[in-house]
Amino acid sequence: MAGIKDLGVGIGWRSEIDLTVERLPGVDFVEVVAENLHIGHLPESVTLLLERGIPVLPHAVSLSLGGAEELDMGRVEHLGAVAEAVGAPMVSDHVCFVRAGGLDSGHLMPVPRTRDALDVLVENVTLAQRNLPVPLALENVAALLEWPDGELSEGEFLAELVERTDCWLLVDVANLYANARNIGTDPERFLDEIPLERLAYVHVAGGVEHGEVYHDTHAHAVLPEVLGVLDELCSRVNPPGVLLERDDNYPSDTEIASELAAIRAVVDKHRG
Amino acid sequence: MSDAAAARERLASQQAALLNALLANGPAPAGFDERRLAVERRALLSKRRSVARMLGPSVADELGDRFQPLFDAYAVENPRRTGSRAREDAARFAEWCRASGELAESRKSYWKFWRTN
Amino acid sequence: MVTPTTTRGTRFTPEQIGFLAAGPGRATEAALARLLDAGLLRVSRDNRVSAVHQSRQGATTAVEARLLNQTRTPVSLKSAVKITSSGTEVRALHQQLLDDGLMQRPRPRNAAWWFLLAMAVVLVAVSFQSPWALVGAASFLLMGIWLRGRKPVTRAGRAALRSATASDRVFAVALYGFTGKVGTQEVGDLFDLPKDVARSIPLKQKKKRRSSARGGASCGAAVASYSSCGSTGCGSSHSHSCGSSGHSCGGGGSSCGGGGGCGGGGGD
Repeated sequence: MAGIKDLGVGIGWRSEIDLTVERLPGVDFVEVVAENLHIGHLPESVTLLLERGIPVLPHAVSLSLGGAEELDMGRVEHLGAVAEAVGAPMVSDHVCFVRAGGLDSGHLMPVPRTRDALDVLVENVTLAQRNLPVPLALENVAALLEWPDGELSEGEFLAELVERTDCWLLVDVANLYANARNIGTDPERFLDEIPLERLAYVHVAGGVEHGEVYHDTHAHAVLPEVLGVLDELCSRVNPPGVLLERDDNYPSDTEIASELAAIRAVVDKHRG
Repeated sequence: MSDAAAARERLASQQAALLNALLANGPAPAGFDERRLAVERRALLSKRRSVARMLGPSVADELGDRFQPLFDAYAVENPRRTGSRAREDAARFAEWCRASGELAESRKSYWKFWRTN
Repeated sequence: MVTPTTTRGTRFTPEQIGFLAAGPGRATEAALARLLDAGLLRVSRDNRVSAVHQSRQGATTAVEARLLNQTRTPVSLKSAVKITSSGTEVRALHQQLLDDGLMQRPRPRNAAWWFLLAMAVVLVAVSFQSPWALVGAASFLLMGIWLRGRKPVTRAGRAALRSATASDRVFAVALYGFTGKVGTQEVGDLFDLPKDVARSIPLKQKKKRRSSARGGASCGAAVASYSSCGSTGCGSSHSHSCGSSGHSCGGGGSSCGGGGGCGGGGGD
């Protein structure tokens, strides 16, 4: 696959579990949240992982690429600088907006699946790509609400985004599950519609059900159903990498290791 | 105005209206499911609250059970503005609590004897 | 993990031993050590500590419960130790030690004591001229004896401390602190803690204390009001601490006097 080498199974590096990540067996790559890193003084743990030859991929959460406001070039530059600092083969952010009308949602908000929104997204992504030293991958988000008047399905929306910007895709199977649960989208249809040859890697995360709603918390165990979506994905394509995201309520090292092993088992099942 | 600029403007007003409804008690934009908006509103608030708790554990510790209702009241009054940092949000909340008398001006409960240790 | 120095056990808990050895900070360190040992807490390279998330409640003491509760979201090790060691749970532990006769309220040698001593000396000198002054000297001496400094750890407490050994890594922390040593082994290493992390655990002694700067006092006498070392100190019967053996105090950050050895973690 052009540009993307085989990453294997990884975990999101977080400072709270840095020693755990260093000690865990079977971590082939890690992801760092770009906004949490300062250029010039990388965390000791990240440096140590780099010395071991573990790829470190910067993941951004604040570019607001789907936002109508002008792209904040400072954030794009920071992401690029982090990529260079860790020698990353690629960076990523989300198909979402974070800020609008002077307010900051503090979260990844879904964009309307309209032509207008797609045009703006394409413009922003193209501008970001021009200012980034490495390829950009974009991730599908979990939505708790649905914009009215959508003109495209989520898969069609992303497929057209890839076609027009030549970006990569970071598919979050937990978000696919969340959307299936919360707003009734069909993960299989999504996987049918997106260009799987542009798959950079996959996110897996845990969540919890509150009443009718599934919350993609990254603070609970990975549900078997989410691994089921991963299984579905792996039956179509051999993903270059699969990464576990855990952001809070960190369980024991053993529990994290067993989640990684479960992910690896799903991936390996489809490898001949 | 070019098509692209017009598209951007239309999108800007849609997104602003949604965030205003979710973060600042604004009116629900047309076409959205009210129940879904409520779910999203709670989720965003809960995330903001947990970030503030993480960044200001001593404030959360001191407020105890009052932390959640107080933070929720503060949050609606003070939606996070673009460019503000999460750390500032936590600090402003502490200030807001002090201003409303919910938090002691400075908390220094020394156990004198051990302090000389 | 520790090679036991002796197989003798102690009927005291690590928290009690920690408190007897070096006060509330060390008691909290001992609780922290127990939780780390049980995999209920984790620390990170940036010196933050967080409770390992799980459904079961793993605390076995009130101090541990406090620590776990306080670290549900990550906090700095320093503030976790600081807040817990000045909390009601550690105070209750202290009260229990007082009730059990292992500790007593200390009485520092204050200015009045030195005044009494000086008066006695002056009167002894005067008594060469008028022997009646000896009566005054004696009464001042008696008052001095009555008001003499009293260490916070009782004879029974010292015995308890002597009975404790670094039989496991939790007791090693109780006796020597995370920055201390058992033999040549650093206690922090027993927990696979990076050096900087271990050093951040006990509170650093503030340099501002005049008494310890004065006159190159040995660690026993350095801190007037509550001498954490010396006879009550970091386990007087143990060879690696200050006091008894040939090891100097304050060196290498492992004992008292230097930056944050025993006695660290008081409530400042």
